[in-house]
Formats: sequence, structure tokens, C-alpha cells
Amino acid sequence: MKLRFHWAFLLVAALVPVVGLFVPAARSLGELLRPIFIMAILALGLNILTGFTGILNLGVAAFMALGAYAYAILTCDIYPFQFGFWPAVMLTVLVGLLAGLMLGLPTIRLRGDYLAIVTLGFGEIVQDSLKNMDVITKGTQGINPLPGPTFAGYMFRSETYAPWYYLFLGFLALVVLLNRNLQRSRVGRAWIAIREDELAASCMGVNPMKMKLLAFSLGAAQCSLAGALWASFLGSSGEPGNYDFQVSIIALCIVIVGGMGNIAGVLLGALVVIGCNSIVLETLTNFLKAHELISSTNVYTAPGNWKYMLFGLALILMMRFKPEGLLPSRQVKAELHPHEPPPS
Amino acid sequence: MSLLQVDKLTMRFGGLVAVDAVTLEIPPGEIVSLIGPNGAGKTTVFNAITGIYEPSAGGVRFAGHETRSEFCGSVAVLLLLTGFLTAGALILLCNIESLWEVVITGNYQYRQVFQWKPANIAFTTYFSENSGTRLILPAVFGLFLGLAGAWAVWQRSRRAPEVAAHAGIARTFQNIRLFNQMTVLDNVLLGMDTQLRTRFWHAALRLPLFWRERREATGKAIEILRFVDLDREVNQLAENLSYGHQRRLEIARALAMQPKLILLDEPAAGLNPAESQALMELIRQIRERGITVLLIEHDMQVVMGISDRIAVLDYGEKIAEGTPAEVRANPAVIEAYLGKSDAST
Amino acid sequence: MTGWEVFLQQLIIGLSNGMIIALIALGYTMVYGIIELINFAHGDLFMLGCFAALTLVSLTGDLPVWLVLLLLLVLTPVFCGGLNWLVDRLAYRHLRDATKLAPLVSAIGVSFVFLNLGLFWGGLPLKVFGFGKAAAAPKDFPTLVSNANLLGSSNVEFTTKDLLVLVITVPLMVGLTLFVKRTRAGKAMRAVAQDRLAAQLMGIDANRVIGQTFLLGGGLAGVASVVASLYNNTIYFQMGYRAGMDAFTAAVLGGIGSLPGAVLGGLCIGLARAFADQYIATRWTNVIVFAILILVLVFRPSGLLGAKHREKV
Repeated sequence: MKLRFHWAFLLVAALVPVVGLFVPAARSLGELLRPIFIMAILALGLNILTGFTGILNLGVAAFMALGAYAYAILTCDIYPFQFGFWPAVMLTVLVGLLAGLMLGLPTIRLRGDYLAIVTLGFGEIVQDSLKNMDVITKGTQGINPLPGPTFAGYMFRSETYAPWYYLFLGFLALVVLLNRNLQRSRVGRAWIAIREDELAASCMGVNPMKMKLLAFSLGAAQCSLAGALWASFLGSSGEPGNYDFQVSIIALCIVIVGGMGNIAGVLLGALVVIGCNSIVLETLTNFLKAHELISSTNVYTAPGNWKYMLFGLALILMMRFKPEGLLPSRQVKAELHPHEPPPS
Repeated sequence: MSLLQVDKLTMRFGGLVAVDAVTLEIPPGEIVSLIGPNGAGKTTVFNAITGIYEPSAGGVRFAGHETRSEFCGSVAVLLLLTGFLTAGALILLCNIESLWEVVITGNYQYRQVFQWKPANIAFTTYFSENSGTRLILPAVFGLFLGLAGAWAVWQRSRRAPEVAAHAGIARTFQNIRLFNQMTVLDNVLLGMDTQLRTRFWHAALRLPLFWRERREATGKAIEILRFVDLDREVNQLAENLSYGHQRRLEIARALAMQPKLILLDEPAAGLNPAESQALMELIRQIRERGITVLLIEHDMQVVMGISDRIAVLDYGEKIAEGTPAEVRANPAVIEAYLGKSDAST
Repeated sequence: MTGWEVFLQQLIIGLSNGMIIALIALGYTMVYGIIELINFAHGDLFMLGCFAALTLVSLTGDLPVWLVLLLLLVLTPVFCGGLNWLVDRLAYRHLRDATKLAPLVSAIGVSFVFLNLGLFWGGLPLKVFGFGKAAAAPKDFPTLVSNANLLGSSNVEFTTKDLLVLVITVPLMVGLTLFVKRTRAGKAMRAVAQDRLAAQLMGIDANRVIGQTFLLGGGLAGVASVVASLYNNTIYFQMGYRAGMDAFTAAVLGGIGSLPGAVLGGLCIGLARAFADQYIATRWTNVIVFAILILVLVFRPSGLLGAKHREKV
């Protein structure tokens, strides 16, 4: 049986905490991987829209924010709802679905670039609205503290990382499975056809409006799931400013760096992009701080101040030399076996 | 009764009249060719039939109906629903903070047990004050906005290619428009989309319907590919096929729709004589399957060889119509193709 | 102030801000029109222009005001235009035939680079930048144009600043229209925008024309940055985001690719912001602007003046 990259990735990831019992470096890796799993879920949501269907969405952070706040409102004890983890997550996914539908309905007939700017604007106004409705959302304070998830009676605590790790990995595996199933089905085929040639697809009877709305809803639902997991991870909804344009762009870069439409690529992309950002920069900053090379008055010495430049240059160079991404789609595989029945 | 009725179809693009009051009647089971010099408006007629263009004047009727979605009860319900939802959303938006205070924070003591008593939920008292700005204004505005917006969106989607496709019209394109990154099999399966019933939850959860339908669809697709003699290229990417094979794949994809009428736009373009003969045979077999064929073609051998009737367009107007023999002898047709001769022939 | 006076005041403010937004939107829509690129870096280019203007001011501090203004209006656009041209040459030229997303992501990368440049610029040890002690903080732009009310003692203020905006932007827009319609270079730009291959077949060097468009668009952003700095008297390295958002929204509202559309869109956004600030609440202004955008696009999917996109089959 051929082992596809994304299953290999998940398998290896499942072993990290086990190794971490013996090797402390693996343990710190495990702790750092948890937000990467959540961002991968966010990027997979964007992947449905941009990777499969070809709709450029520049504001997925909005759906993540809605998910985080919905989860927080449903679970925090300052409000009377106080749902458990699992019902709250399911309701949050529903909220995401509705939000995607709401954004999609008036805008679905717009041309690609117009739609992109609209999604950009949507990302902004969700941020603003969350900040403004501070009676509900507590403004920049955020809604906290949130209780941890529970699983079969066991309550997660912030000190032990392994249960969190497996929880997020489990969700990621589920999301990967569902996306993969959709990709290799009539739905995925229709999406990819729309991306390739929308007019021809509609002449074949595919209803682009319905399929795009579906992509919007499912993508938004996944992004909201990421938001809920993020909130439970932080123990807080975070503040509206956390879900800004930069988060949306990071998600977009993950999808593109990995190789558009390719689920395995998204996983790799998340590892590379977030890994570089949080792991490499962090270590560098700590290193420089330890050697007292960072001065607070000199803006050029703190590595953190260079991150935009490095990120930007990385994007430019990537597009210059490898625009198809790190893992081009399965067309490469299909090219090698033209006469066999389809592997699906 | 004719299957397709093009009735004084006129297409204007800005100041240019591409198609001028063209009338065509296609009875079922025939092979009809549409010929004419380049720029005569033939593909434009195809585009109007398949719903890509909205006719500037005149109409297209397929199997007795106009090829656009009609206003009916369910559309009205959808419009009204959108109106009410927008009104509700707007009311909520204008009042959410105050309502939240009234219902939730006003009544909920931190960490106490919250009782959803009817008295706690003071909707009526809240809305009775300032009912104008809080309730009526957003409701009316929202209803109007929702209705108008939904109406505008619906209007724009009335005549769309997928409507014609669902009615039973399939087509190929003058410049091949295959899904290049997809395999041959996937292209045909995409064509079959209107026949499939798998929804996204069947696919995501891999329910039995998914497996069953995939098996059946793949079987049917391979059968169609066998019909056009492409069954040895099943897993090849569409963009890697030879030109002739690509043309056949486009036809296969159109056939997968199980159409009543198939529009072929220059299917013989770029084919050598042997391939053209094979194409003619293929078109005859398509007709034997019960599908009516409307053909745009420049290759006169093909046209004269398989057409039951021919219509000739020039500068957007229909200048002749009839059997191949009649059209061949028609002086207006000869003039359009060869030009007027000064001396008498 | 009476209600009428409040309204007039907001009208003036809205139009002034709108003209500045329109200038930025023009540069953005020109580049989109010619290569269908959403130039994310445009807002940050505007920001860099503001920093360049401030640096220029600090270097020419003792010269008479009119001379400083002249230098600003000449040198800043040259800087911005040149930078824009350079970025096209380095980052976008190789991606002319790639999918649409590649240059877009590249533009996002450029935008991040510009953002960081702005941060570092603010850390330069110049007096105007506070000697680099607080690189990220907003910087004051000296009041070279006064705030004096030209309407005397009336409650409604039409200041010299507003006059400056008018005096600079209107002739510039007229000049741009004439350039695009009458000159050969302008015609070449329109040709390449409509059909690049056909233009090349007619002997037009598409890459050079595209470079010229970037130059011109950048120049417009440069003028906008001078005007905005003089009008608002403050700059900060994140201002490119807001300016870019307004410019994108304005261009889309008017119809991307349409020059009059960009101006109309800019004015609409400026007015919408001013009236929303005054009559609703500043914190909801962004939401109002977005709502207006959605409303317009639902009924006119190509923007107010945009051309209907007809796909060739």
C-alpha cells in the first residue's frame, strides 16, 4: 500500500510525544507543534476555497475570529450558556457554516478579483465589529478564562501538553480525512473544474453558484473550527486584533507554499511557514538576547523586527523560483501511470 | 414538433449586430449543419442557445420551453425568505448589544444558576420603547434590501449555461476547453455531473451511495470512452492527449451529459481526411443513440456527407437553408463563399 | 454649528480625503488594468512616500516654504515611481505568464518588505524621526501649509489645506486623462491593457509600457503621500494598510481598471467616511464603507463604472 505524504506526516506526528517521553527536545517540539496543527486546519479551510475552487479569500481570519469568539461565549462562565467542549465545538462549526453562507450569498457572482477585495473587507469589519460590540465580546480584553476540553471525564490542564497535542492532532486527522474524501469525489471534481474553467464547467451542468457557496460554507466552517480550537488552546478568545490580515496572509502563504489544492502540501506548508516564524525566529531572538546583542533603542538589532522583511523576501523568492509550491499536485503522479486505472 | 426552435434570434454587441433575426427549427433525430464564412455569427448562435449570451431580441425554445429558469413558487419563497432573513439580521445587528444586556448580562449573576424565566426575557418591553428605530426601520429596510438584492442576483442567474445543460443541451467548443489538469476519466465524469446524486455529506462520510454511484458512473464513463475509442487513455491527463484525441474527449464529455441535443463546434477542425471519416461515422452513431446533432463545420466533405439539412449564415443573417444538394446549388451561398463573379458563369 | 453647517463641513472633509484616496486608487487601478495584478504593495508604497517626504523636509529645513513644497511635489513622486518601476522589474516581470496568484503573492511579499522598510526608516537617527529612539511610533509632519480658514470667520472651514488638495489633485487628474487619451504612451498603455499580445504584434514593447505604468502609478502615489502628509500632519509605518484598503475599496467600487471609476470611488469612500464618522460613529465607519461596497456590487457586479466582462467563447 502506498503511503501518501499526509498520512505519513500524521503518523510521524503521532509518535512525537512518545519520543518526547525520552527525549526532551522532542517534547518541546511537541509543544510547538500544537499551534501548527491548528493553523494547518485553518489553512485546509482556505484550501477548499482557494486550492480546490480557485476563489481567492483574503480574510479567513474573520471566520477564525468568529469561531474563537463563538466558542468562548458558549463556554465561558461569565455567560450562562456554559456548554461543554464537544457541544461547543459542534455549535461553532455550525456558526462558521452560517457565516460562510452569509458572506457567500450576496457575493458569489462577483468576479475573482472583486470577490478577493470583498473578502479582504470582510476580514476587516469582523475585527471591527468584534471590537465594537464590547458588551458581548469584552472588546480588547477578550472573553476569558475558558475551561479546558474534557474527554471521557478527563479534564485537560495546561501543564500537561500531550493530551492537547493528541486532541489537536486528532482534529487535524479528521479534517484531512474529510477534505480528502471531498477532493476525490463528485464535489471535488466540480470544484476543480470550476477552478480550471468555470464557463466550461457550467456548460456541463455544474452550477458554479451552488458549488462556490458550498466551498464558502465548508471552508468557513473549518476555519471556525480552527478558531474554536485556538480559543480552547489559549484559554481565552483572544482579542479581535489577533485575527487580523496577517493571519489571513499566513494562511494563504501556507496554501501556496505547500502547493495549491494539495492537502499534503498544506501540511508541509504549515510546518515550514509557522515553523520558521515561531521556531527559528524565537531561537534566534533568545540567542541574541542571551548574548545581550539586542538593544531596546536600536530597532535594527531585534530579530523580531526583521520578520516582515524576511517573510516578504521569502515570498518573492518563492514565487520567482518555485511558484507551483513545494509539493505540486497529484498530476505529477498521474503522469507516471497513464494506463493504470485511477488510484482513487 | 421541433426539438429546438430559434426564433428571430438577434445578438447585438455594442453597435455590432452579430446575429440578425436568425430562425432555425431543428426536429428531433436530425443532423443539421450550420455553415458560413468566418465571422458569420455561427458560434454566437451556439452561445445564445446554450445560455452563455442573453438574446438581444428573439428567443430560443428547447423542447417547448425557453432556456432560462422561470419565476415560480419556489423562487418567490426564496426571495421572500431572503428578505425576511435580511430584515431579521438587520434588526439583530441594530439591537444585539442592548438585547444582550437585557437578556443575558442583566439577569445572569456570575457563577449563579441562570434561570430562563419568561420575565427575564423582556423582549416586549424592550421593543415597545423606540419601536420605530429599533424594530420598524431596520425591518422594513432589511426586507426591501433583501428582496431587491435577491431579485437582482436571481435575475442575473436566470439564463446561465447550467440551465441549458440541465434541459438537455450539450456542446463542444471551437477552441478546445477541456479540464487540462484532470484526467480523461475525470473529464467524462464531470460531464456526467447532472446525472449524479451524491451530495457532499455522502462524499465526506463515504456513505454507501457514494461507493455505489462511483462504481456505476465509472462504468458508464468507460463505456462512453470506448464509444469514442479513448478507453486506452483513461488515466492520461487531458492536456497530454493528441489534438485529435482531445477533440474526441470533448465529445465524450458532452455525451456523458446524456443530452437530447448536442452542439458540435467545428469538430473536424485540424483533422486529416481519415480522421474526418471516423468523425463522420461517430456523429452518425451519436444520431443512432437518439441524440439530435447541430453542427458548425467548415469541412464541406463532412458537412455534405452527414447532414440531413444545412443552414447557411453570412454576416449574421440566414441566407439559405435546405438539403445538401439544394444548398450546394444556391447562388447566394456560392457568392458568400467564393465572392461575386464579374463575368457570367 | 447648525445642522446644515455640519453637513457642509463633512462634505468638505469628505471631498478632500476622497481626492487623496482617489489619487492612490488611480495608481492601483492603472496597474490592475494593465496586468490584472492586485498590487498589495501600493498602500505601503504610499507610506514610504510619506517617509521620503518627511526626510526631504528634514534635509531642506531652511529653504522657503514654496521651494520645499515644490521639491516635495517633484522628488517624492520620482522616488515612488522609481521604486514601483524597480519592484516590477525585479519581482513581477518574470511572472507575466504565470497564474494570477504568483504575482499576487509576490506583491504581498513586496508589501511586507516595504512595511519593514518603513519601520527601519523611522529608526534612522534624524531629528524628524526622534533620533531613532522609537522607530515604530508615529512621526509628526511639520505644518508647511497652514490650517487657516479661507472662509474667514464662518463656522464651516475650508482651509488652505483643502485648497492645496484641490489645486494639486484636480489638474493632475485632468492631466492624467489627457495623457492616457491623447499621447502615444497613453495609447500604448490602453492597448496593452486591452490585449497584450495584439499590442506586441503592433510593435509595442509590452514590458516597457508596463514598466511605464508602474512608474506613473507610483508617481501618483507619491503625490498622494505629499498631499496626505501635508493634510494630516502625521505619518506612521502602518498607515499603508489603511490607505491601501481605502484605495482598493475605492477602485473596486468604481470598477477596477477604470480611471474615472477610481476617482468616483475615491470620492464616494471619502464622503462615506466623513458622513459615517459624523452621523453614526467612527468605530462603525469601516463597516459602513464595506456595507456600501457590498450593496453596490450586488446590483452592479462590475462596480459603478466598470466594464461588463464578457468571456470569449
